[in-house]
Amino acid sequence: MSGEGAQPVYADFVDGTDAVTHRVSLQLSRTHLHITLPEGETLYWALEDLRALPDQAYADGLVLSDGHAGTARLVIDNPHVARELRGLAPNLSRSAPVGNWGRIFGWAGGALTSVAVIIFVLVPIMADQLATYLPPEGERALGDATFEQIRGALGREAAPVRLCEAPAGRAALDAMMARLDPSADLPYDVRLAVLDHDLVNAFALPGGRVILFRGLIEEAESADEVASILAHEVGHVVNRDPTRDALRSAGSIGVLGLLFGDFAGGTVVLLLANQLINAKYSQAAEAAADDYAHDLMREAEVDPGALGRIFARLLDEYGDAEGIMAHFASHPQMVDRIEAAQAAAEGGVYDRPVITDAEWQDLREICGPRAAQDSDSPGAQDESEGRLGGRN
Amino acid sequence: MTFADLKTDYKGSKAPLFRLALVTGIRTVLTAGFYRFWMKTRMRRYYWSAIRPGGMPLEYAGRATEKLLGFLTAVVFLAFYIGIVNLILMFFSFSLFEGNTPAYALSLLGITPLIFFAQYRARRYVLARTRWRGIRFGLEPGVAGFVWRSLLHWGLTVVTLGLWWPVKTFWLEKYRTDRTFYGDHRMHQGGSWRMLIRPMLNLYLSVALMVGAGVAIGVAEDPRFAALIVLGFGWFLYGLGAWKAGTFKALTETKTLGEAGLRTQPRTGRIIGIYAGGWGAMVGLFILGMIVSGIVLAIIGAITGFAFDTLGEEVDISTLGSIPPIIPIVTGIILYFGVFIMWNVLKETFITLPLAHHFAEVTEIVNPAALNAVRQRSRDEFAEAEGFADALPLGDAF
Repeated sequence: MSGEGAQPVYADFVDGTDAVTHRVSLQLSRTHLHITLPEGETLYWALEDLRALPDQAYADGLVLSDGHAGTARLVIDNPHVARELRGLAPNLSRSAPVGNWGRIFGWAGGALTSVAVIIFVLVPIMADQLATYLPPEGERALGDATFEQIRGALGREAAPVRLCEAPAGRAALDAMMARLDPSADLPYDVRLAVLDHDLVNAFALPGGRVILFRGLIEEAESADEVASILAHEVGHVVNRDPTRDALRSAGSIGVLGLLFGDFAGGTVVLLLANQLINAKYSQAAEAAADDYAHDLMREAEVDPGALGRIFARLLDEYGDAEGIMAHFASHPQMVDRIEAAQAAAEGGVYDRPVITDAEWQDLREICGPRAAQDSDSPGAQDESEGRLGGRN
Repeated sequence: MTFADLKTDYKGSKAPLFRLALVTGIRTVLTAGFYRFWMKTRMRRYYWSAIRPGGMPLEYAGRATEKLLGFLTAVVFLAFYIGIVNLILMFFSFSLFEGNTPAYALSLLGITPLIFFAQYRARRYVLARTRWRGIRFGLEPGVAGFVWRSLLHWGLTVVTLGLWWPVKTFWLEKYRTDRTFYGDHRMHQGGSWRMLIRPMLNLYLSVALMVGAGVAIGVAEDPRFAALIVLGFGWFLYGLGAWKAGTFKALTETKTLGEAGLRTQPRTGRIIGIYAGGWGAMVGLFILGMIVSGIVLAIIGAITGFAFDTLGEEVDISTLGSIPPIIPIVTGIILYFGVFIMWNVLKETFITLPLAHHFAEVTEIVNPAALNAVRQRSRDEFAEAEGFADALPLGDAF
């Protein structure tokens, strides 16, 4: 299409002011593309200003514009012409400059700030306030729903995890609660349950539900250690931490969903992010629950050092292992928590265990005699399958 | 000047779209979703440019950065609404009803007007960035009217167990079409909701058959009626294809732009074929993928097992456990996102593209000479872009 007298080359042209298409003839000079309209008028587009629309379905052709601003378009379907122009126009694939980075960064800052303020300030404050106003029945309903979910999640196939209710063991557990006697601090009664599962863990749920796992009772070397964990969970109940948590995640999960949108598998990113946020909160809540446990145990004349001992052993055993204890054990302040428990025990004389030795044997068999036989080998192998994000 | 109708060419094909979807999908995951604005922009450029009425490709002129900006704007407003409102709803749900179901229901209800809002705004943005023959499309502001109409029609659709569906479809389409511009010309949606009854008939009747058969099983306690349910379900699937083709034809052929109009001949059989073939291809490729990865894993297992054997007596099970835990975790994450990306890519390739292809090639412009009177309209800056639609999970392709 370059030489004089060569076959004329045609293309479709729209000028961007009306919807009329023009069949135009094209010619080339050293620096310009000459576009001659049927009426005889000729436009001169500089080769260096030619831009091609990207990601076009008809990749052998070209849709050209003169710079980035105009709405005039030249549609070249002839692959030979398109190929020749690709060789001649140096800036075809240069993309339009982004002029509004300033605004984008401004709004990005605004969006991050508003999300941060909502997730880290507004939602927690409101959750804290609302948690104390939630009627006990409502909290109980919240806790019951979660409890059934957890039992279902840890169960095998369709059957939820079994509740351990051997009468003698129950009685021992009740005796332990009676000795600790937290009732003065409680907004509602604590409802204790032992689940027949290998997890070395314990939870507090909204509405005063506290769950111990068989694995934890087997791991404990004394009744005092079980009592210390129980006191810690009661601390969560007293502070209404589980209710705060539930309300907070109701608020923050939705907000995080906004940020990540529903791109491929965004749900996982969302849950992970929420986990991180909750983990940050739990450190303060854990420390408060520890403090409460120390006080409660001292008043009940049970050795608060037991909490430090079971933590220390878990740190030893599962220090860098996988499983449910990992985030527990790898907590940076784990060592501080052990020291705090030791400090709380200092100066006290604790010669009476929280329950009698006979009661302790009954408690160890609350899930049936099998549990007692297994007690030499704490069931840590199974843990990774049932990882939970609750409070421990 | 010719009075011949303008046929539509379709230039898209599976291989390049597959590549584009795959590359942009991977980048989206690698950037934790950040690249999705670029992905959307590039995919639309491809889809738009593939459709060429009268040989002149559509142009999608939207930019990724304006989508990002619109998304950020929407987040500032929505974060407050969703965070605080969800929390308060959860609180009242548990204090008044002692369960979380009302909270989820209310939260969904509370977000519904926002979804319609986002739909209209997204349509406005997309039309404002669509050009053909160098002329911009546009949608008049009017989101409030769309939101209350949508609430009303969707409410009636739910209350009437779907009987209202054709009426809803027609009026919402009319509301949007009557506010749509091509250049300085306004589009018009003619016809009435009655023309959508026929396309809907197969759906009504097949559902009636299934319900009737269900009742018959209960009353007559004769399980042989189950065959009727299977029949009704097959009929229902056919009905979906017929509805898609029928409504597209009815609504498209009654749209006018001044003197110009549209004619279209979508085929139910082709639409059903695309869905059946598309799903077949997707499921088939997935099964194939699983078989191949199973074989690869088995080979790797055999090779490593062999390596352990040659080590001799030092082999014990605990050394297997000492593989750094990061390896299975990373493998799991890659697999998880890989499955999602591939699913989307295959869906674009085997369903969205063939459907666009079919609808494009059966549609033609009647009396295109009338379009020559169309003049350019000024640019709709619309800084919010489709931010609300991006932030809310609308799950739409376009």
